[in-house]
Amino acid sequence: MASYRISGLSVRSEIALHGLMACDGPENAAPDVTIVRGEVPDAFDDAQVLGPNWALAQDRFRIGIPGVVSMLLTGGRELRFCPAPGVSDEEAAIFVASTGFGILLHQRGHPLLHASAARVGDAAVLFCGPSGAGKSTLAAALGERGHALVADDFCAISLREGRPWIAPDARKHKLWRQAIDAMALGGRSGAPVRNRIEKYFVDPREIVETPLPVAAIYALREQRPPHSPGITAPNIVDAALIVRTNAYRPRLVRAFGQQPLYFKAAAALAQRAGVYYLTRPLSFADMDKTADRLADHWASLGLLDRAA
Amino acid sequence: MRWIWLASYPKSGNTWLRLLIANLGREEPADINAIPESAGIASSREWFDSSMLFASGLLTYDECDRLRPMVYEAKREEFEDCVDLDEDNEEGGDDVASRVGQVHFVKSHDAWTVNPDGRPLLGGSRVADAAILIVRDPRDVAPSLANHNGSTIDGAVDLMGQQDGAFCGQPRRQAIQLRQQLLSWSAFNASWLDQRDVPVQCVRYEDLYTDTAATLGKVLAFAGVEVSEEDVARAVRFAAFSELTAQEQAKGFREAPPSRGKRSFFRRGIAGGWADELTAEQVERIEQDHAPMMERLGYALSAAGATEERRAE
Repeated sequence: MASYRISGLSVRSEIALHGLMACDGPENAAPDVTIVRGEVPDAFDDAQVLGPNWALAQDRFRIGIPGVVSMLLTGGRELRFCPAPGVSDEEAAIFVASTGFGILLHQRGHPLLHASAARVGDAAVLFCGPSGAGKSTLAAALGERGHALVADDFCAISLREGRPWIAPDARKHKLWRQAIDAMALGGRSGAPVRNRIEKYFVDPREIVETPLPVAAIYALREQRPPHSPGITAPNIVDAALIVRTNAYRPRLVRAFGQQPLYFKAAAALAQRAGVYYLTRPLSFADMDKTADRLADHWASLGLLDRAA
Repeated sequence: MRWIWLASYPKSGNTWLRLLIANLGREEPADINAIPESAGIASSREWFDSSMLFASGLLTYDECDRLRPMVYEAKREEFEDCVDLDEDNEEGGDDVASRVGQVHFVKSHDAWTVNPDGRPLLGGSRVADAAILIVRDPRDVAPSLANHNGSTIDGAVDLMGQQDGAFCGQPRRQAIQLRQQLLSWSAFNASWLDQRDVPVQCVRYEDLYTDTAATLGKVLAFAGVEVSEEDVARAVRFAAFSELTAQEQAKGFREAPPSRGKRSFFRRGIAGGWADELTAEQVERIEQDHAPMMERLGYALSAAGATEERRAE
């Protein structure tokens, strides 16, 4: 059994979850989530919502990664996995740690954003966007500039007295070979995320292990017409839309009937933090310029003054 | 609902046809940056990830291909339910639909292939009702493709002749879209023309250029869209090459080649421009590579004698 902290939850797992930071488990206390090997049903008799490879029934959710692994998530407390015949645990682990756990967090009723996050001063800033938008790369680049990694792929948001906070989900960066080469991170890169994929785990320089208030959330946009480079604030309607559409899995917000939850989170993020578009070229050559632009923005927001 | 593929080898007029369709029933020209882009194409990573709930980036391209038919089936169901159609659109602001009434048009640069499980990659007749294949003289495709890819014309001619030609197939980084197997220019067009899963209508760029209204009318009739002649005439005006170029010059076009240099998307917008853009050798290579398909589609080969003459000059 290995123990981890994932998005602020204590987790005990029967398989090693590469890329996550192992920690000493609470020996006596029951963990928040257990990850176990076991049978996963092919279908539910009482399914309420069906997707091509997934189904929702009451407090159970099943998802299959065809040919790799199937998972059954129950009540946001147990993640049961069953690797496909001939598939190793290592091969299945990445899907358990990312896809499976992300859906389990949706199931627990947290507003969950598809975002990376870095520490700025004593707060966190989030970068959201669909797969390929550059979230992980930007977080890694900011790590090189001294901003500790708060989250790489998903951000669980909670409201404390109306203020949005993020549960840290620091784990290894997952970067494509091209990004590793362009940012000269080869010295800290390790195993591939999955065999046959040229995406690798990279050790972060520094990670955050305690919850932080959210200071800003940036929706990443590529600099292409009609958008010019820069940081702009959308109107309140678009800000709410940014939060909703950047749920970790937007389809699940509807499936779980969580629209009000995201509406509330969006309001809090817009009023107590700030929601912005960050428009920049995708090329690595422009990364420094983007980081400078962000630093200016943080200075203007007063985030750097609060640095501990 | 009806699902119509708008299939073409790149740089054959697909975007122009989509803009014509997007301008149907409008009071003023549609914003060229408002036509659905990544959300409206078969190779959309967003469609895959949001239907399957996991990142396509964790799969090899062949693994993705095994699952892609399921993605389109799920998408079709979603279209049929027609509920909250735009809710999960991660691009937000798209305000020009890729559908006219109940007819959905979906772009594809994927050739019509079967996946490793032997199923049609694009889901066959379970997904689509019909397909419109847009073709263009390969001698005009070559310079346009070179401009788009930032390659030489010879490089474009190579790609067009490559049996395993592909877009977005790089293994070292994650491309914005899923890999699209283009095959060669000839094989791409043959794949769509010869499949027997869905009815296909072939449209030549040159015919769309020569008589836009009549050709568009035929396309819409085939797709099952009922429109008046006035509607068609207005869409033709709104999506005229001069209007599109003016919009691109004023605001830029997001589908334009990435900003290496000042290459625009809407380039010449003519038919037969190859005569002053290609060398005799390039013409000869294209014709050697693609003669049977060119003849099948009605593109006359330059007389062998003429080619010989030009080479002698």
